[in-house]
Amino acid sequence: MSASRTLLVFLAGLVLGSAVPSGAQPRDPAARGKYIFAAAGGCGCHTEKDRVDRGLNAGGRRYDGPFGTVYATNITPDPETGIGKWTDEQVITAIRSGRRPNGERLLPVHPYPTFNGMAEEDLRTLVAYLRSVKPVKRANTPKRISVPLFESVFLPAWLAYFAARETPPPTAPVSGLARGEYLARAVGHCGECHTPRTVTMSLDNSRLFAGNPKSRGPEGSAVPNITPDRDTGLGGWTEEQIVDYMATGNKPDGDVAGGLMGEVIQGTSAGYKDLTRADLTAIARYLKSIPPVKNRIGE
Amino acid sequence: MTVRSRVCGSVLVIVGTALVAAACASSEMMKVGSGDPVADRQRLMKNVGANWADIQAKAKANNFEAIAVNADTLALNAMHVPALFPKGSLTDKSKAKPEIWQKWDEFVKVAKNLETQSEKLRDTARAKKNDEVQAMLKDFGRNVCGACHTPFRVPPPQRS
Repeated sequence: MSASRTLLVFLAGLVLGSAVPSGAQPRDPAARGKYIFAAAGGCGCHTEKDRVDRGLNAGGRRYDGPFGTVYATNITPDPETGIGKWTDEQVITAIRSGRRPNGERLLPVHPYPTFNGMAEEDLRTLVAYLRSVKPVKRANTPKRISVPLFESVFLPAWLAYFAARETPPPTAPVSGLARGEYLARAVGHCGECHTPRTVTMSLDNSRLFAGNPKSRGPEGSAVPNITPDRDTGLGGWTEEQIVDYMATGNKPDGDVAGGLMGEVIQGTSAGYKDLTRADLTAIARYLKSIPPVKNRIGE
Repeated sequence: MTVRSRVCGSVLVIVGTALVAAACASSEMMKVGSGDPVADRQRLMKNVGANWADIQAKAKANNFEAIAVNADTLALNAMHVPALFPKGSLTDKSKAKPEIWQKWDEFVKVAKNLETQSEKLRDTARAKKNDEVQAMLKDFGRNVCGACHTPFRVPPPQRS
């Protein structure tokens, strides 16, 4: 090869290399899917606490709500009790639209209106990863709905009038604020915990990420305001401190994350701690860019 | 009274006095802290947090050997943890969850883990094994502090 052709190839590599996503991804779809799984907090809702080794994604975790009680489902590739017999399209439909193959509607404890904001390619790689974990035979525990006509009347009405659906991008953003917004709003579904809930328990996106008191937070926990408000939010944190927190759980004052946030940082087979520094920086920059909302979340 | 019985009596008085003095001294030694375990453990945890923040600041400045003194403090604090959570000390004033007493053996185990991991960090820092110290610090917060905070503590109110 001539010197000028070598230089041309080298320059072409530089140009193409600069288009590589800020979080450069492995080639294998399942490995890429594991990264998306990490960005979603390890889908910890589907794994019982302290059962990561024996029951990753095998379901069983209990959620109590004003409607009754539901239990997370088995999303391992077990053919009898999991998603082993589902097609990729059926799994994707369940994730983003909340419908099972038999047409049954999922309760939005699984936040499908938010996951609807995930790009198609990320959903496909996520499915590839879900199919790669060990199948676990564990029958799903039936839900117990205590409100009459809840699934046939109230839930469809709530979804139609109150549940804002995120819009999926044509392709997953790879860098910048768009990447941070995509990871925070859709994949990481941060708003499901951090955005205030109205009296109808829908998300009040006019106060995006402004926190929830104990009465409205997940599993009865108060959830912090992560808008850049200086008095009540993360305005006093630097971008680096936000990144460090999501990567390690370490807070600037020496405290360490616990509770549900500790769970999603640690994840199950993967969690926020496994995201690249570039992606965590994109999320931190996005959080610093959204409107500050004064909303003190106390005791 | 014979000389022998006087001597025996004197010995008994001396020994008895010594025993009483020892008992008083040990009861004073056992009364550690203010007597309010909730206030004491909150102060202890603030001290743990301050030392952990200091460790991270020193690591960022590549001052790894200096971390040893903070790690030693963490280990010493960890020794006191179980005693600061006596039965009956669950209160709305603290972030301790009832799971502490429901899963006491597990709680004691994670406290002991803080002690042993802190000692390991101290010894590694003193030995100037900087790469090993860095590797330990990467997961220390999550795996050691988080191992207790996640199951046993209600997240504290937000501080900006």
